[in-house]
Amino acid sequence: MGKSVKEILMDGNGYACIQCGRCTGSCPSGRECSLRTRKLIHMARIGMDVIKEDELWDCTTCFTCQERCPKEVKTTDMIIELRNLAVEEGYLPTMADVPKIIIKSLYDTGAGQPLSPEISKVRSIIGLKKEAYDVSTNEETLKKFQRLLDGLEITRKGGLR
Amino acid sequence: MDEEYAFFPGCIAKNVYPGIEKATRIVFEKLEIGLRDYEYSCCPPPGVMACYDKPSWLVIGARNLLQSEKDGLNPMTICAGCYGTLHNVWYALKNDPALMDYVNENLSKIDLKYEGKNHPIHFLDILKDHKEKIAELKELDLGLNVAVHYGCHYLKPTSVTGENSERPTLLDEMVELVGCKAVPFKDRLSCCGAGGGVMSGEPDVSLKIVNTKLNNMKAANVDAIVDICSFCHMQFDQSQKKLGTTEIPVLHLNQLYGLAFGIRPKHLAMHTHLVSTRDIVKKVKAAKKG
Repeated sequence: MGKSVKEILMDGNGYACIQCGRCTGSCPSGRECSLRTRKLIHMARIGMDVIKEDELWDCTTCFTCQERCPKEVKTTDMIIELRNLAVEEGYLPTMADVPKIIIKSLYDTGAGQPLSPEISKVRSIIGLKKEAYDVSTNEETLKKFQRLLDGLEITRKGGLR
Repeated sequence: MDEEYAFFPGCIAKNVYPGIEKATRIVFEKLEIGLRDYEYSCCPPPGVMACYDKPSWLVIGARNLLQSEKDGLNPMTICAGCYGTLHNVWYALKNDPALMDYVNENLSKIDLKYEGKNHPIHFLDILKDHKEKIAELKELDLGLNVAVHYGCHYLKPTSVTGENSERPTLLDEMVELVGCKAVPFKDRLSCCGAGGGVMSGEPDVSLKIVNTKLNNMKAANVDAIVDICSFCHMQFDQSQKKLGTTEIPVLHLNQLYGLAFGIRPKHLAMHTHLVSTRDIVKKVKAAKKG
């Protein structure tokens, strides 16, 4: 199901981009770091190695650029797709270890953000169950969930198999 | 109960800020809206999962959506991140039969199937139809000046959400119901900086983004931040501790309503927030006496 850069540009209307820069001008992240959305789209279009760019991982996916694009280029959707391609091709960002921790937690507990003993205590003090009712409550359900994950790419990319 | 939803609390409200889960249960009980629990997993997050492997994100999201499908219940989220995932997964599957087939091929391995008959809903879009009842249940006019934060994935992309992302007014109206004022401030709709895996992957960038936003709020002299997203909530609360430049208490809308309905702050776990909520509690006590 992986897409090439060209397919990503086609699906995201990237060839309609007129390089006006409204995306970069609207970007809350670009104000604080070197992310330049216009540049990323341009690099993709002229065949440069856009998936190797670290800036690709500075986008918060807030969708402001996509909403404001006068040519209806799906900038945020394209950044998400380019990240998928980058991971597929082995260009892992600086955050590479973080998703692995989250993916392992998802596999082991069903939660991306696991429960700590301290918060478990708070839960019971305020009258909630010590552990929330979810996929991990019933052992059989958790095993089935893990079987589902075993068949998905996310566990391979997350280094679990 | 006539109105009932499948309650999707999300990892942050369950495991980091349980006061948000508790406040939601209290508010919905008072409003006589039923919430049913299901065996949910993490949504999973749009930033990390969708960017790492989109097909897996679709399958895991669909597994969550289908939990309440047979009961005819729509999943309700209290986090814009969870909403972003569930709503975007639902939208993608509804409009692409090939994707739906792919997802069901995977789900069939554990004897599950999603047909797309229910759809996710953000709690704000439920509460907006209960304005009169909220006003009736209000025991206190809180009288706070607040900075409202909509959360990017509640509003956008508008092609999926159908919202007005440049001039939303609903949350402003919803805080007014309990005697608060949504104060204007610079770039009020800008991102909190947590999404897209940036909070965990590029923490320095994330802190710079939120710092700019917090300083804009501070300049408007607000008593509190009111959010409708557990993830933005965590970003505002935890970042202020790390930055040490501002001290604006952070409340989820359901915690604000809980206070207005006369629930004790401790029962809303407000004492577990990193930024002290003491000044808010004082003001609420003063409102009670007055």
